[in-house]
Amino acid sequence: MADDTTKANAPPPRDDEPKRIGRREVLKGLSTVPALGLFGYAWNRQRHYQQARVEEVAAGAQAPAGVQDVNVALLGAGAQGQVLTDAMLRIPGVRFRAVCDVWTEYNQKRVVNSLKRFKHEVNGYEDYREMLDKEKAIDAVIIATPDFWHSQHTVDCLEAGKHVYCEKEMSNTLEGARKMVAAQRKTGKLLQIGHQRRSNPRYLHCYDKILHEAKMLGRIVTVYGQWNRAVTPDLGAPDRYVIPEARLQQYGFKDMHQFRNWRWYKGKGGGPIVDLGSHQIDIYSWFLGANPSRVMASGGNLYYDPKTHEWYDTVMAVYDFDTPLGPAKAYYQTQTTNGSQGYFENFMGDQGTLLISESEVNYAGQLYRDPNAPAWDEWIQKRYVSAPREQESKGKSDSGAIADVRESVAPDQHTVPVTLRDPYHQPHLQNFFDTVRGKATLNCPADVAYETAVAVLKVNEAIEAKSVLSFTPEEFKV
Amino acid sequence: MAGGGEIDGGVGVGLPEIPRFSHEAMATIYEVYAVHADQQYAAQAAQAAFDLVDRLERELSRFLPNSDITRINHLDAGESTRVTPSTLECLAIARHMFDLTDGAFDVSIGTGLPSLELVPDESVVRATTRGVQVDLGGIGKGYAVDLMAELLEEWGLHAALVHGGFSSVLALEPPPGRDGWPLTLSDPREPARVLARLSARQTALGASGLRKGDHIVDPRTGRPVRGRLAAWVALPRPDATVPEHGAESPPRAAAAAVTDALTTACMVLEDADVEALCDGSPGLEAWILDGAPSDRDSRLLHFGGEREQETRHG
Repeated sequence: MADDTTKANAPPPRDDEPKRIGRREVLKGLSTVPALGLFGYAWNRQRHYQQARVEEVAAGAQAPAGVQDVNVALLGAGAQGQVLTDAMLRIPGVRFRAVCDVWTEYNQKRVVNSLKRFKHEVNGYEDYREMLDKEKAIDAVIIATPDFWHSQHTVDCLEAGKHVYCEKEMSNTLEGARKMVAAQRKTGKLLQIGHQRRSNPRYLHCYDKILHEAKMLGRIVTVYGQWNRAVTPDLGAPDRYVIPEARLQQYGFKDMHQFRNWRWYKGKGGGPIVDLGSHQIDIYSWFLGANPSRVMASGGNLYYDPKTHEWYDTVMAVYDFDTPLGPAKAYYQTQTTNGSQGYFENFMGDQGTLLISESEVNYAGQLYRDPNAPAWDEWIQKRYVSAPREQESKGKSDSGAIADVRESVAPDQHTVPVTLRDPYHQPHLQNFFDTVRGKATLNCPADVAYETAVAVLKVNEAIEAKSVLSFTPEEFKV
Repeated sequence: MAGGGEIDGGVGVGLPEIPRFSHEAMATIYEVYAVHADQQYAAQAAQAAFDLVDRLERELSRFLPNSDITRINHLDAGESTRVTPSTLECLAIARHMFDLTDGAFDVSIGTGLPSLELVPDESVVRATTRGVQVDLGGIGKGYAVDLMAELLEEWGLHAALVHGGFSSVLALEPPPGRDGWPLTLSDPREPARVLARLSARQTALGASGLRKGDHIVDPRTGRPVRGRLAAWVALPRPDATVPEHGAESPPRAAAAAVTDALTTACMVLEDADVEALCDGSPGLEAWILDGAPSDRDSRLLHFGGEREQETRHG
C-alpha cells in the first residue's frame, strides 16, 4: 500500500492537446491570495471588473423617480433589528439616519458599519432620547427593543412626531399596549405592529381569495397550530464585549444574562407563547374573523433552569371562538425542547383544510378538499389554488357511462399558488412605508395588534389561574 | 473522528475528551470542537456560530423560495436584486474560483456565471442574461465554516475545529499539548481504509468524492467525470489575526471556502493542471484518488505542500 501515495509526476502537456486551463492564470491566481486575504482579492478584482456598471445599477437600487425618501432610525439593533435592517435595505427610498442600541460595543457598531457600507450616513446612539433630540430629520422609527421597552419607546417617538413600526409583542403588559394605542390616536402618527404575516402575499391570498371569496374551507370548526423548537443553550456574549453592570442596570437589566435572555424573564418578555405564539394566534383571529371568547391553557417550566427561565418553556392552549359562521375551537402549542414539525397553522373546515406556514419550504400551503365538497374547478381556473398534480378526467367522458373503470385514482392535491420571494419582513415594512407616503393603509395598526395582545397575554394568566378564562368584547377595545 | 470524543491522532496518542457541539443545517451536520475552561461559554459560542449558519442558509440556499440565491435564479435579463453582504462575498469568491480554474469550478454549472455582475458597493447582483442557475453547494459550506471560525475567535475560542458535514474542515489552534488537529483521508469506497494522516493547524481541508451511484459533472463539458474517486485540498489560513469587531471591510480568511471550491475543481481538472495550481500557490496541497468505484485498483496522487506532513498508508 506504500505505493498508493506517489508524488505526482504529471506528464508534460502535449502540444497537440488544447489547454483546458490557462496556466498563467493558475500560476498568478492563488499565489497572491493568501497574502492579501482572498476576500480582499476577489473583492477588488470584482470592483475593478465592473466599475463601469456601478452607477447604472446603483441608480436602480435607489429610489426611483417619484418615490419620496423616508428618513429612518433603528431603535434596537439586536438580532431582530438586524433582520428588519436587511429587509429595509431592499426597499427603495428608505434612508437610514440613526441607529440606537445600548450594546454600543457590539450590536450598534455592527449595524452602523453595515449601513455605512451601503452609503447610509448614520449616527450611533446609546440613548434614544438623545437621538430624538438631535435627529430632527427622522420621519419614522423602527423599534426592535425588548418587549418591556416597547411602550415607552413607542409613545416617546410618536410624541416626538415620528411614525413608528414596532415589533410584536406590542408590549409585555396591556397597560403598556393601551398607552401606545392612546398615543397613536393623540398624535395622529402611524403605528404599525410587526405581525408580519398580515402583509405576506401568501397569507393575504388565503384570506382574500381562498377563505372569503371562494369559501373553499366551508365553515372552519377547528384550528391547530404549533411552534416547536429544539433545545438551545441560553444566549451568551463574547467576553470582551460584555456591557458594564452600571449601564445594564440603567436600562432595566440585572445582568448580562438577563440582557441577552430577556424573553424568558417576567416583567421583561412573555416567554415562547408570546415570542412565537403571538404571530400565529394573530392569524387565528384574523382568519376566523373574530376574537376569542374563552381560553384554557396548561403550561410549565418542565426543562430549563427556573432561575433563568421564569416563563413557561411548554404551553398548550385551547381557545373558543364565536365566529360569524358558528363556534370554533383552536388549539395552539409551543414547546422548546424538540423542534418536531416546526411551525404551521392548520385550518380545518367542513369542506376543506388549509395547512400553511410562513416557512413555505416546509409547508407549501397544502389544501385538501373534502371529497363531498363542491368542486374547485372555478378556483383552479382563476388560479386561486394550484391544479391537482395529476389532472384526471374523472368520469367526464361523453360516453354516457357513469364511470370509466381503470387504475385507482389518487385524491387531488392542491397548494396555495403564491410565493414570497422577498425576506419575510419586507412586505410588512413595505406596507408601513407605503402608508407613510400616503399610498396604502396599515395592515396591522395598533388597535388590531392590541386585540392580539389581549388574546395572547391571557394564556399566561390562564396557566397561572388553572381555569378557563373568559374574554368580554369590551376587553379588546381601548 | 465521526464518533467524537477520543480521537486517535497521527502521532498515535489519544486526545482527551474535547467538547463537541452539533447542529443540522444545509442538509448536513455542522460541528464545533472547542477547548475552553467554561463549557457553558463554549456552548453559547457554538450556538452563536450555528445561528450564523442558519442565517447563511436562509440567504444562500437555492431550495428556499425567498433566499438571495433563489431571487438571483429568477432574474430576467437586465434585472438586478440586492443581496446581503455575505451572499455577495460568497459569490465573489465563487467567481474568483471560476476564473482561477478556467470554469472547472462553476457554481452555475455551465449556465453562464460570468453574465452575473456583482456590485460590491451596493451589494447588488445583476443578470445580463436570463437563465443563470446558481447552486452554492460546492462552496457554501466552506464559506459558512470560515465565518463560524471568525465568530469563535471573536468569542475568544482559539483552540477549535469547525466542520460542515466533514467535507469542509477548518482547524484553528490545536488543543493544549498538541501540534495540530489529527485528521485522516480515507477511501470513499471503504472508509476504514485510511490513505493519509494529517495534523492540521490554522489550515482548511476540503474533500470531494464519489460514493456508489454518485456522479460529478464537468461544468465545462456537461459530462460526468470518470477516473476520479476523490479529491482533497488543504490550504493554510492567510492570517489568524482577528479584526476588531465591526471594522470596515476587514480582510477575510476564506480558506475553507477556497478549499471547498478547489476540491470540486480537482475532481475534473487534469493532473497537470492540479500540479500547476499547487506549484503556483504557496501552501496549497492536493490529493487525488484515481480509480473507478467498481475497481479495486486506485492510486493516490499528492501535489504541492511545503509544510511537514506525516503520511501513513493502509
